[in-house]
Amino acid sequence: MLLRSVFGKTVRDLRWPTFWVALGMGGMTGYFAILFPTYKSIIDLNAILEKMGPAAKLMGASVGDASSLVGFLHIELFSMILPALIIAFAAGMASGFTAGEESRGTIDVLLSYPISRRRLVLEKAVAVTLACAVSAVVVWVMALGGAAASASPLPADKLAAALVMLVLLGLDFGAGALAISIFTGNRAASIGVAIALMVVMYLVDALAAIIDVFNNIRPLSLFRYYMGSDPLRNGLNLADVAVLSVVALFLLVVSLVAFERRDLAA
Amino acid sequence: MTPAIETSHLTKYYGKSRGIVDVDLTVEAGQIFGFLGPNGAGKSTTIRLLLDLIRPTSGSAKVLGMDARRDRLAIDRRVSYVPGELALYGELTGRQLLTYFGNLQGAVDGGYREKLIERLELDPTKKIKSLSRGNKQKVGLVAAFMIRPELLILDEPTAGLDPFIQLEFEHLCEEAREEGRTVFISSHQLPEVEHLCDRVGIIREGRLLAVESISALKDRALRKLEIDFGEPVPAEAFADVPGIRDLSIDDSTLRCTVMGSLDTLVKTAARYEVCNLRSVDTSLEEIFLAYYGAGEGSGEGAASSDAGKETSDAAA
Repeated sequence: MLLRSVFGKTVRDLRWPTFWVALGMGGMTGYFAILFPTYKSIIDLNAILEKMGPAAKLMGASVGDASSLVGFLHIELFSMILPALIIAFAAGMASGFTAGEESRGTIDVLLSYPISRRRLVLEKAVAVTLACAVSAVVVWVMALGGAAASASPLPADKLAAALVMLVLLGLDFGAGALAISIFTGNRAASIGVAIALMVVMYLVDALAAIIDVFNNIRPLSLFRYYMGSDPLRNGLNLADVAVLSVVALFLLVVSLVAFERRDLAA
Repeated sequence: MTPAIETSHLTKYYGKSRGIVDVDLTVEAGQIFGFLGPNGAGKSTTIRLLLDLIRPTSGSAKVLGMDARRDRLAIDRRVSYVPGELALYGELTGRQLLTYFGNLQGAVDGGYREKLIERLELDPTKKIKSLSRGNKQKVGLVAAFMIRPELLILDEPTAGLDPFIQLEFEHLCEEAREEGRTVFISSHQLPEVEHLCDRVGIIREGRLLAVESISALKDRALRKLEIDFGEPVPAEAFADVPGIRDLSIDDSTLRCTVMGSLDTLVKTAARYEVCNLRSVDTSLEEIFLAYYGAGEGSGEGAASSDAGKETSDAAA
């Protein structure tokens, strides 16, 4: 059934990785949502944030945040863990689109069938986008389930907005890893560079709150657009959506053009 | 009739390293064509250029009359390919893989596919990663033949196949030819393809040296012979045999190489008591030697006779 097209085959290849990523992200979010009232009653989270002082800002938190589930999820998951997971997933998968087929040696046979190089990359890109979206939906369902179970308020629309930004951020790094893998033909290198960029961008965005120099270069960090407008509280900021979307599309187009032109590795 | 393959000054450099240089190759439709050359001669480079997997440094190629670069998709609808280093998706079974490739191609005659699976004795229920090299090769061959392409491009297709399956493969190629289709087979071993091919092209160090019919090539081929006599024989008796070279007689054993017909040598040997006669398969290198080392070939350039010299150095 799934072996009808490159898209279907990619979905088939991605089903287990997607399952685990979705379960991991959704499980964690649901877990925190269920246990939030318990945490809150045992530990004075805001007092901890206060003691941390500027360091709390590194986690994207302000004092007072931790008194609601929304603030708690923002600090605990959306600021670092969820982006790291979805970026690792998207970059890991996208880096294998062509470099994986090339290093396995399967690209010669695959492209001897009537499929253009462009279509090959696009079908795989759609499959990874779908996998990220499915993961986000799982997170959404499990988070809302957990929030309902613990009777903590969590607005479904704002959560969806934050997850849209999360998926877009993942796709940006996925498209980046794809571009690097196409230019270098090296899958490991492209994942490494994507992860390194993620760390640098994260730090730039986090340190901007306490160090001026980083504030100046903050627009270069994709994390600025991802959570900068706090979608978990404020919903979607269309300008931020546009920036993340344009970056992903630009990197995809660069990848397509580069892949179209170059020799395939034997 | 449009040639199946036509290249013009086709040249490929990988950075500074040589792929192929100035290859002008025409393969007529409806033939089985052998593309011969030692490893690293440029066979796979030529094939990958035909399939637009890599791009030429200069020159151009036409496949089934269409431009290899511009019309790749139209070409791929009518051509199938088995690469030399065949890599397939290990996580799929043979049947799943054939289904996938069939879907990518479009319509496939399922009955014919099953017949091919049977003829090549492929077990399609096993995962590709558990298959031996020869069995993987069978999957590749079924995939290539099942779409009944106008042109089959097979890069070292018989590697790992057992003799029986190799014979079946040859029948498939002959059937394809009978149906007017073209088969392009690369190999580094002449004996593997000589009884199958109508014509062969010989490539060495990136240059196409010659395109010949098999019979013409065999006439010029070198045969290495060893004859054990029941008595010592005089070297003078054999010195004048036409085409003989590297003659050495060690007591009662004669060793030599002969170009062309063996008739005179055998008749001369028959004057003495012959205990044993061994003929060693001529390798491609030796055919090159026969072709160009002796200066009796088709009069290619200086590069060719250099090639011959190198071979004899290597042999010594």
